[in-house]
Amino acid sequence: MDIFSNIFSYSIIHATIRMATPILLASIAVIITQKAGVLNVGIEGIMTMGAFTAIVVSSQTGSWLAAVLAAIAVGVFVACIISVAHLKFKADVFAVGMTINIFAISLSIFLLNSMFGIRGSFRPEDLAPLPKLTIPFLQSNEVLNSIFNNYGLLEIGAIVMVFGLRFFLNRTSGGLRLKSVGLNEMAAETAGIHIDRTKFMALVFSGVIGGLAGAHLSLGYANFFISSMVSGRGFMGIAAMFFSGGNPVISWLACLLFGFIDSTGSRLQAYGVPSEFVMMLPYITTIVVLSVSMWLRKRKSLLLASSVKTTGTHQLEDQKG
Amino acid sequence: MLHKNTYLNTIFSVAIAFLVGVVLILAIGQNPIEVYGELFKGAFKGSLNFGGTLEKFVPIFITAIAFYIASVVKLFNVGVEGQMYLGAVVSAWVGFSFVNLPGPLHMLLCFVCAIVVGGAWALISGILAVRLNVNEICTTILLNYVAILITSYLVNGPLSAKTGISTTPNVADSVILPWFMSPSRANTGLFIAIGIFVLFAWILSRTTFGYKLRSIGSNKEFSNYIGMKSDRLILTGMFLSGGIAAIAGAIQVLGVHHAFLNGFSSEIGFYGMLAALISKGNFKMLPVMSFLLALLRNGALNMQRFTGIEASLVDIIITVFILIASMDWILVLFRERKKVRVQ
Repeated sequence: MDIFSNIFSYSIIHATIRMATPILLASIAVIITQKAGVLNVGIEGIMTMGAFTAIVVSSQTGSWLAAVLAAIAVGVFVACIISVAHLKFKADVFAVGMTINIFAISLSIFLLNSMFGIRGSFRPEDLAPLPKLTIPFLQSNEVLNSIFNNYGLLEIGAIVMVFGLRFFLNRTSGGLRLKSVGLNEMAAETAGIHIDRTKFMALVFSGVIGGLAGAHLSLGYANFFISSMVSGRGFMGIAAMFFSGGNPVISWLACLLFGFIDSTGSRLQAYGVPSEFVMMLPYITTIVVLSVSMWLRKRKSLLLASSVKTTGTHQLEDQKG
Repeated sequence: MLHKNTYLNTIFSVAIAFLVGVVLILAIGQNPIEVYGELFKGAFKGSLNFGGTLEKFVPIFITAIAFYIASVVKLFNVGVEGQMYLGAVVSAWVGFSFVNLPGPLHMLLCFVCAIVVGGAWALISGILAVRLNVNEICTTILLNYVAILITSYLVNGPLSAKTGISTTPNVADSVILPWFMSPSRANTGLFIAIGIFVLFAWILSRTTFGYKLRSIGSNKEFSNYIGMKSDRLILTGMFLSGGIAAIAGAIQVLGVHHAFLNGFSSEIGFYGMLAALISKGNFKMLPVMSFLLALLRNGALNMQRFTGIEASLVDIIITVFILIASMDWILVLFRERKKVRVQ
């Protein structure tokens, strides 16, 4: 019981949100492109480049704002590479994305070594991390202080973005156009929407969010950089996107679940569970959660199909996730 | 026409990637000709270097075939890396455990166990994709991390050689694939790789089974309609893919390291996958692309030894090459010119 209450104390709320934020940002970035019909697997590479740029700029200029802006710029640049390759030169977006992921890791290793002569982790001393938000009058109470205070700028920002994205997708003409491209390209084109331009804008936007996610990783989540620091968070974001069918709010809940498992796991480690199993937990949870949600969705659509006596299987195909 | 395009495209991509490399090398204040000279010397000169290239070629080539087989039935098996790790650790375990078996049987057992485990691992994603429409890119990638962590746990715990470094005990001498180009570690696994390639070239183009796989890949509904059991065939394809990836791991253990080393791969599986992707569905291009990637990677390691330039520079050149090779330059340029003419 003692172990149980130690693991699931109130402080796990903060830990959950902390762990969930990088995945959430990645998930927001891929939701946007998925709505335009592009599965952006290059999000990991964008995040790696963003994280690297942010920490370098932050340590050189001492300004977190400049670091964040630079990370966004680099994120957009990488997204532009992906869009030019995919949209203009008809490359398979999956191939480009996977290549970008390896490219980003190699480039950051190369630059770390040639700029600073460092191998492995980069821990600059004069680092300007992202600011944390505190509400002073809550500081007096230990529990409230833990739950509501000391959140990083982007930990709050990501939640705002979730609802912003939801508003954009459902309530603005731009969002509806974006979705129409993903749903039926030909119909959208007939309606006078520029397919490639819409996809390009979606990719650029995911570059912005991906850059922010990277900046958050190296300046908010941790105060160092290693080239492998994204380690699957981008793909967990993609899983959250598939889980929610592209709904930002449900995707956020999925990310919170991943974050919760992650933070529970790291507490279990203190009780002698081998670290490998603890590190496995978030990946396994992601797969299980995704599978269960797809199973429920399949059952629902089969029920629907049987009730209207159509085959309905092709509808299922459309929702592959 | 299509094939001609692929070859032109490849040559073009290599040229551009090397130009990007020149810019990078100049940027860090080195002489590009010298660096490239070292790179090619490091890949070809002498049996040590050339053997090293062959040694690196084998796993990239086999994982490329593995990725290709899954892509025939329209599944992206990004998990080749993880399946390779599992195959490696299983073959290492069999290799040092059942030492009383006669040599050839023992070696066969190593490979069979590796294939079963790797194939089963790939089947997890396959079944989820076929039955529940779970995106297999997601699950295979996430299972990669799980597989690598499992092997890392095994090699540090139950299977550890207890020598202080993360490795299993050495496998029995009878199961070792001999080195044929000493002092390099090029081993007879090369012939296994070629065997797999020929076998699958034959299966895919000349057998009913291969025809069924291709048919499902190009039109699943039609194949269902004419009575193929498409789900089962897709799963078979995925199992084969995982099994082949595991063979790559087994060869790394039995032929190169003679034990399972923690984290031995350095993204071999990903390079294999990329080699398959830039072959763009052309099975005959797989050895060419895999060899190109292998020679660059091996050359890079030797270059690092002699010039002190980071090998990651070559990883950058390789990824730029893959990026450019994945694009359809010739097609687009050709089409643009046509457009101009029409106007």
